[in-house]
Amino acid sequence: MGDSIASVIARERTGEVDFALIGHQESWRAAADVLAVLRGPERMPLPDDEVKDILPWIPPRAVCHVEAASIAGKKAHGLYIESFIPPDRLEAAYVHENLARVRGAAAYAIKAGAKIVSLGGFSSILIEGNFDQLPERHDTVFTTGNTLTVAFIVQGIEKMCALEGRDLESSTLLVVGATGDVGSGCARCLAPMVRRVLLNARNVERLHRLGAELQADGVHVEIATDLRQFSAEADLVICAASLAAPSLLLGRIAPDAIVCDAGYPKNLSPRVELPGAKVFFGGLGQITGGLRFAPDFRGVLNRHPFPDVVHGCLLEGMALALERLFEPFSQGRGFITPERVEEIVRIAARHGIYRAPLYNGDGPVICSSGYFDSAACA
Amino acid sequence: MNTAGGNIERVVGLERSPMESASASLNAPIWEDVLAQAITGELLAAMNYASLSEICDDPAEVADALEHAEIERGHAARFAAEGRKIGVDVSNNVGAKHWKRLREAFLRCVAERDFIGCLIVQEIMLESFAVASYARVGRVAPGSLGKTFSTIAAEEEEHVDHAMAILRAERALDAQRFDEKVYRLHLDVMTTLAQMLAKECKDGHCEVCHNSCVKPALFDVSLSAAELRGASLRQYLKALDMLGVPGEVTLTWVTQLPV
Repeated sequence: MGDSIASVIARERTGEVDFALIGHQESWRAAADVLAVLRGPERMPLPDDEVKDILPWIPPRAVCHVEAASIAGKKAHGLYIESFIPPDRLEAAYVHENLARVRGAAAYAIKAGAKIVSLGGFSSILIEGNFDQLPERHDTVFTTGNTLTVAFIVQGIEKMCALEGRDLESSTLLVVGATGDVGSGCARCLAPMVRRVLLNARNVERLHRLGAELQADGVHVEIATDLRQFSAEADLVICAASLAAPSLLLGRIAPDAIVCDAGYPKNLSPRVELPGAKVFFGGLGQITGGLRFAPDFRGVLNRHPFPDVVHGCLLEGMALALERLFEPFSQGRGFITPERVEEIVRIAARHGIYRAPLYNGDGPVICSSGYFDSAACA
Repeated sequence: MNTAGGNIERVVGLERSPMESASASLNAPIWEDVLAQAITGELLAAMNYASLSEICDDPAEVADALEHAEIERGHAARFAAEGRKIGVDVSNNVGAKHWKRLREAFLRCVAERDFIGCLIVQEIMLESFAVASYARVGRVAPGSLGKTFSTIAAEEEEHVDHAMAILRAERALDAQRFDEKVYRLHLDVMTTLAQMLAKECKDGHCEVCHNSCVKPALFDVSLSAAELRGASLRQYLKALDMLGVPGEVTLTWVTQLPV
């Protein structure tokens, strides 16, 4: 087994590394599945207690090679680098430990010669305000991938409104986690399209700044650190940050609100917490030209009900690699504008990368009309 | 039981405070078994370096190997002295089943006059285990016992550097051949080490612990078998990274080890 993998890797390594994707697993089940693939089919999967004992000790490193194919006929070759952040440590209490892991993964990507690195999920959140903490690099650029994530969230909101027969212009939009890179990007893109925007976050100063910026463009804005302080119920909700308790939304939003769960980890269950709401997972895209993993991690690293669906943040790196545009497209916090979103959407679309079909924790979203959004959307 | 502690010297004049003595003595049976494993490992390393000197062509390398053997014997003596300070005469057993297999793996390299193979087994595999586990023990063991473990961990880490330079140069000549050799030795040596480091000794007594297996009792001294295994395998992966063996390959090797 080891010999065959070694020879596959040796073959793969002869090529250039166009992109690297830095990621982590959101559940112990997913982490166990990654280790099971690495152990191979002829060995018993590790018992759960062994997975929890072993995983935190593994230093960040590549687990597989990735080939992304464009509908334009191009291919880009990359690595998926697992940071091995334990799924139960995706919290502020472990920020220093997790930053060290992301730095380790970044160093691995640089050493592998990756031209562009996308920071997936929690890695992106950790680094968006700490780019100076990445290791020194020469020919490697980093992107948080947040611009494409924002694009897919906005497109998802538009699609759900269309499917549900909702009028965006008369809607009240609530953004939870509004001062983060993704939250503020979504607010900037959607504010001109809705009647009122409610911005919620923990940092009052940043809330004031974003509120003032949108107000200057003529948007009706309210800001609050506590959801109970808003004067109106929202009928569109973007959770750009995970809620400590999803029940916090209950009674604060319209019972039939459209809710986009775009936080990490995604923790809004439509049946349990928000029975009347239309909940979907936002920020996900599909690469219609196809995605190949070696070894085969299909359905393990991308655990979605549709094929070749990946988080927008990771797809941004692939899209830029396919475009041969090795630039740090998304960096820092609060710089995502509607123009930049349009630009990355155009680049992604040239290579067949579109918003993924809508789904949530219960499976594909079925709208009130019975419509089932099953195809990636150009 | 094969006791190979002939060169262990009595260390005198190292006093510990009454508090430290009481703390260490309280868990003396646990520290006795931890020390027994450490002394056995050091004596085995000394034997390995002595054997290595027999296949070195360069007189400087012979001297170097013999010097390392002496250093490892010195480590064993320091561990034995720590045992005496807590009132135990720590035994050792280089013929215990796991340690014996590790020695045999090394001797196969010697028989093939495979100098590089010997370095991989001793400096990359066995020393990773020693450096990482001594460092963890050093953090929790009281007083001079903890200091000795920490100091020896640091000393072991230092002398890996010289071997690392030789091994990196060797890999630069033919990376694929080198990696295949490491993998072959990994299957042999690391499988045995993984069995030693498993959370439970599933195939019977290890023949080093004084009475029953020490692993379940490690919690009493703020250690665990899982922690020692995790730290050792992490150190091993990092050592292989420093050699230049691709991380995605070594990750697969390590995840395929028995638990």
